[in-house]
Amino acid sequence: MLHFTEILITGLLVGGIYACIALGWAIIFKTSGVINLATGELTMIGAYTCFALYTMGLPIYVAVLGMLAIALGCGVLTERLWLRPMIGEPVLSVIMVTVGISFAYKAIVCLIWGADTRVFEPRIFPMESLMLGPIHISQVFLYSFIVAGIMMAILIYFFQRTRMGLAMQATADDEMAARSMGIPASSVYRWTWVIAFMACGMAGALLGNINGLNVSIGYMGLLVLPAVVIGGMNSIPGAVAGGLIIGVLENMGDAYISGFFPGGVKTTFPFIVMLIIMLWKPYGLWGWIKIERM
Amino acid sequence: MQLPTGTHFDSYTADHAWWQTKFVWFRMLLLLFVLLWVIPTFVGDYWLSFLNMVGYTILAAAGVQLLIGYTGLITLGHAAPIGFGAFACALSMYLLDVPYLLAFVIGMVAAGLLSVLFGLPCARVKGFYLIMTTMAMQFITVDIILTQFLGPLAGKGRGGVLAIEPEMFNIGPWIIYSVKDAYIWMIILCVIVMVFMANLMRTRVGRAWMAIRDNDIAAEALGVNIFYFKLLAFFVAGALGGLAGCYWLTNLTIVSPEHFTFGWSLWLVGVILIGGVGSMYGHIYGALFLTGVLELVKFALIPLAGIFPEAMEKFLYIKDLVFGLAIILFLIFEPKGISYRWWQIKNYIHLWPFSY
Repeated sequence: MLHFTEILITGLLVGGIYACIALGWAIIFKTSGVINLATGELTMIGAYTCFALYTMGLPIYVAVLGMLAIALGCGVLTERLWLRPMIGEPVLSVIMVTVGISFAYKAIVCLIWGADTRVFEPRIFPMESLMLGPIHISQVFLYSFIVAGIMMAILIYFFQRTRMGLAMQATADDEMAARSMGIPASSVYRWTWVIAFMACGMAGALLGNINGLNVSIGYMGLLVLPAVVIGGMNSIPGAVAGGLIIGVLENMGDAYISGFFPGGVKTTFPFIVMLIIMLWKPYGLWGWIKIERM
Repeated sequence: MQLPTGTHFDSYTADHAWWQTKFVWFRMLLLLFVLLWVIPTFVGDYWLSFLNMVGYTILAAAGVQLLIGYTGLITLGHAAPIGFGAFACALSMYLLDVPYLLAFVIGMVAAGLLSVLFGLPCARVKGFYLIMTTMAMQFITVDIILTQFLGPLAGKGRGGVLAIEPEMFNIGPWIIYSVKDAYIWMIILCVIVMVFMANLMRTRVGRAWMAIRDNDIAAEALGVNIFYFKLLAFFVAGALGGLAGCYWLTNLTIVSPEHFTFGWSLWLVGVILIGGVGSMYGHIYGALFLTGVLELVKFALIPLAGIFPEAMEKFLYIKDLVFGLAIILFLIFEPKGISYRWWQIKNYIHLWPFSY
């Protein structure tokens, strides 16, 4: 039971970081309907720029701020260069543009930093685990969860309270109506990409700090898809919940099920659960059921 | 369709023929002659293996073209049936000593059934959720079934790599041994697949698929059993993928789960997008273009390697960069693909001197 609790808590803490990425994905989808397969590369870019600034000797706060500034620039550029011309194109084209973005950005990151694993030196968070009664909690995970939580809180505040956030919600609801009320839809799309870049970059920096940085951080971009499917694609709280669920599932699968298989369970278990949930509740736990008319 | 002045047909059969005039017949037979005799006789082994890669891409993309271009079911996991077919073929040859042609059929059927299994959720979901199912197919099949279960059957500690002796690939007395043999086998398979797909699209099944692609609710209202036809599309596309996998086995004589990554699935979708979605020749142009461009990049990097020694090591990343940019730029500037451009050029020539 103790073991179980530990796994659950670790899963939730890691899930907080996934939730941050899922939030970035869901904001883009909800507002502009773009299914973004390049999320992993947004994560990678954030992680590597933060790493580069940190190894230049800047304090971590400055490094994170610099990373957010770079993310802002990248978000504006990505949206303007590649996504703006695709407004109104078929779904497959838009998806494949994000696939193209993911290939290109991953290649650029690899060309600049190489494919070797890098480590944040000196460590930002202490490595020792914290004792909470009899339960071990890794401090890295705990602080990462807190940082990711703060990031998400800021983004959700932005989304629900500020003028631009409300404009985003209006655009998500009905683009035509929003445009006729004077909301500049293209600037809304630009800001969604900026937010996605920032959220993913933050999560990437945290993940890189936990396990070391390498290309496999881009895999997070795929893991986020089961999270949003489980949560329901149109729902921001659903995305956060989905991220937490995926974190728990991944750790549970690793701890309890991988003994029965030769291997490879940890990475595929979220997808298997997602398939089962899709058969039972195709629109996720909090998603809208889409009714189609001819 | 432009026809020379004075050409007319007396029967619907003649009117609907693929090759309507003697000139087109002559052109196509010339093409076949070039493909089957001139190229294998005069082209060196390096370029033949390059063409084999193109042919493998064409065969692999045929199933993707069928699913995305004709049925409108977006798949991002087509490498899974390809790999499953290749492993089924290799294992039945390796463990059961099945002759190659029979193993070929086994591979195709196995891949088709796998594809149907993961296509089952299409009864309830579509669009993005179906994309997720195909991605799940990719990860579950390649990362678990192939790597952990089917690969080790060949013996422990080989990392899931299966090697088959080249002598075992025989069709009757013909042993597919050299690059040239693999090339000829590739041409035969490509022609068969082309003829099969082109004719399938003109039957009830093909028209039902296109109706589903254009509007599935309307198709259902008109009496098309969309669940059955979607599953049929998954089966046929999976079987074509299995065919490509079995060909890959002859080409390389080894097969490993690493040949069927998620990146390869995306690559295949890129091939049909660049070539032209829903076009009969789209995946051929796309495969030629993408594989050719990579070859050009490779040759461009060789002189650079003298100046920057790391240029060759980074070839893999440059390849990805080129692929990504090619997809993006094609989708932005030529969304209909190369086949549409080719059609425009042909029209221009046909209408000359009054082309506009």
